[in-house]
Amino acid sequence: MTGKKNIVLFGYGNFARHLYKNLATSGHKIKVINTLEESATAFEDEDVDITLINIKKNEDVLSLGINPETDLLYCAMSKTANNLFLVLTLKALYPNADIIAISNSYENTRKLKYAGAGSVIDLYEATSRRVVNMFTRPAVTKALDEIIYNQNNIKMAEIELPQNSFLEGVSVSEIDFKAIGIILIAIIDKELGQELIFIDHRIDHKLDAGDTLVVVGLIDKLQDFKDKLELEE
Amino acid sequence: MKDKKNIFVSLAYFFASSRKYQKIKSFFRDILENDQYPYKKYFDIFMITIILTSVTILVIDVRNHIPVWLDDFDLYFITFVFVVEYLLRLWVYSDIHKMLIEEYEESLFFDKKLSLFKVFGKIFKSKWQYISSLAAIVDLIAILPSYRGVRVLRVLILFRAFKMLRYAKSLTGFLFVLKNKKFELLTLLTLSAFFIFISGIMLYVFEGDNDNPNIHNLFDAFYWALVTISTVGYGDISPITTEGRVVSMLIIITGIGLISFFTSIIVSSFSERLSSLREDRVVQEIGKKQNLTVICGFGLLGRLVAQGFEKEGIDFVVIDLDEEKANLAYEKGYSAICTDATQSHTFERLGIQDSIASVLCLTSDDIQNAFIAINVKSLNENVYVAARCSDEEIAQKMKFAKVDQLIMPEKIASMMGSVYAGEPAAFEVLLSIVEEKAKTQIDEIVVTKNNFMDSKSIKEINFNKYRIILLGVFQKAHTQGSIGEFIFNPEDDFILNAGDKLICIGYVSAIANIKRKA
Repeated sequence: MTGKKNIVLFGYGNFARHLYKNLATSGHKIKVINTLEESATAFEDEDVDITLINIKKNEDVLSLGINPETDLLYCAMSKTANNLFLVLTLKALYPNADIIAISNSYENTRKLKYAGAGSVIDLYEATSRRVVNMFTRPAVTKALDEIIYNQNNIKMAEIELPQNSFLEGVSVSEIDFKAIGIILIAIIDKELGQELIFIDHRIDHKLDAGDTLVVVGLIDKLQDFKDKLELEE
Repeated sequence: MKDKKNIFVSLAYFFASSRKYQKIKSFFRDILENDQYPYKKYFDIFMITIILTSVTILVIDVRNHIPVWLDDFDLYFITFVFVVEYLLRLWVYSDIHKMLIEEYEESLFFDKKLSLFKVFGKIFKSKWQYISSLAAIVDLIAILPSYRGVRVLRVLILFRAFKMLRYAKSLTGFLFVLKNKKFELLTLLTLSAFFIFISGIMLYVFEGDNDNPNIHNLFDAFYWALVTISTVGYGDISPITTEGRVVSMLIIITGIGLISFFTSIIVSSFSERLSSLREDRVVQEIGKKQNLTVICGFGLLGRLVAQGFEKEGIDFVVIDLDEEKANLAYEKGYSAICTDATQSHTFERLGIQDSIASVLCLTSDDIQNAFIAINVKSLNENVYVAARCSDEEIAQKMKFAKVDQLIMPEKIASMMGSVYAGEPAAFEVLLSIVEEKAKTQIDEIVVTKNNFMDSKSIKEINFNKYRIILLGVFQKAHTQGSIGEFIFNPEDDFILNAGDKLICIGYVSAIANIKRKA
């Protein structure tokens, strides 16, 4: 499952605006769509081109020319009701579309998933955990800041093993990740399906081409590792 | 002109400068008058016990003869306690030395002679204010029964029971509720008096002239009217003529109306005051706590945070201006107050100086959050304030207001959202780590002194054996209370020391296992 590069972003409220910035910095091509009613309260950034549509009209949505094979759809409207309706519309028009939606509570997450969103991000869940952690486990909060939230040189990344790499046929326990300078957190072992498996050293996985590694490391170390995988054939 | 200080003024200055005197006075003031003072409770219980004892002795004395020692106890000890209490209250009511000094300094300022007569007049006036207050009069009357000469005075012991109102706050709370309905109750009273008056006279006119053997005078008629109108109806006096019976029928119907009116007044005044009574309780409960966290705003985020706090056992109180939301918090069993967090008295009531350790501004409105944050910081700068905001620009302003921590849900969620594009597997890992819903979680493990990890290298410990992944180490901070430097993915020969914090990812039970060992 390679990432889709083209992004269609519905909504341009607080959350969507942050999302736009993040996605733009990681080099994605983004198309921003909004509804007339939400555009009244949305931000106006000069360099962002926003297409206004009526999500209740199928022809409006169809006219966007979404290609479910290459586009990743973000439903990030300010109102959860609009998001829900949007997910439903998109799913009806493009059954194979990859939809990620924003939700504001646990129960709405359930509804969005039911409507057909592939992944749902709860706006408050992560934040509330963070606030509680600030009091109970300050070190965890700080570590997460370093690894995930702050834009510094530590990054989490996923790497799909190419054909005939030097890790082909090697067991996880045999690889000295410490020497490479990265930490392996989870893998998707293709032989076992699409399920994400956290590394807990109970089962030793044998790596093959097509397996996905989720690793954390310094950006240059990650790049070195990727280069090395591509090189040695 | 140099005025020679007279003896009163020097004494006043002596008391004003004596710390011991101030301390003793403030102690008595607290124990007598300050509801927030933790030891006042014991004093109140002691006084209630004494009063009940005194009333019990009175009751026993009616039929049985009480032993002499008990009578002496009643006469000397209880009276002594009451007298001392009365004098103490009189003493703490106002500060004589302050008034003296004030007058003296004023006289210096205007270059006048200090008029002692005027000063003592002023002092007497302020003390008289206390003596003439209702509570003080009740106190005084409660002392009187100690004089055994007049038997009737014994009944005044019941005034001691009235004194209990002072010590039991719930009783005064009830009276306070009624006070708010003064107008309605007065109307009702007037109305009832009017009906009793009319019907009493009517009955007396119809049956007073020897028709009815039970009605001797107008008083009997009024007594009958009250008994009937209140629907008590003893039946010791009952009308015998048709006219009298018609009057009865009328006032019985009126009486039912009056009683339901009375009930509705009481009920409605209680339901009106319910929320403020509840608030008082919450404030009282909070007064006892230390390290309290205040959550301002019980919206979607506030709810989740409250849930997390409850699970982790952190003391908190919820404030929301919206009554519905405050009620929701209350129904969930949290301490909740419906009030405006942008007002300073809200936090003063909650004890911003000593009870509150941190304040979270979690409303969905940035401006409101900034308002609350500034309110708190201006009251006490040492309180930890975390505020929610949606935008970097606003974040800058919040930092200017010295907010300790900014909470940006949109930023955090969007960070995760952007990971999804391109790296869905990494996203899934992130989601399970930050939302802490999956069985694999991130946690911190502290290396304690002489722990199995103390002074060992990473290689020696071999975290693989414990089935956890070591992400990094926070080295022990050199200054108290802060967290040291974060060392990401430490080398194999890195030596752990006591005080270091390990950041690990692992299966919940694997982390619990290593924590048990640690």
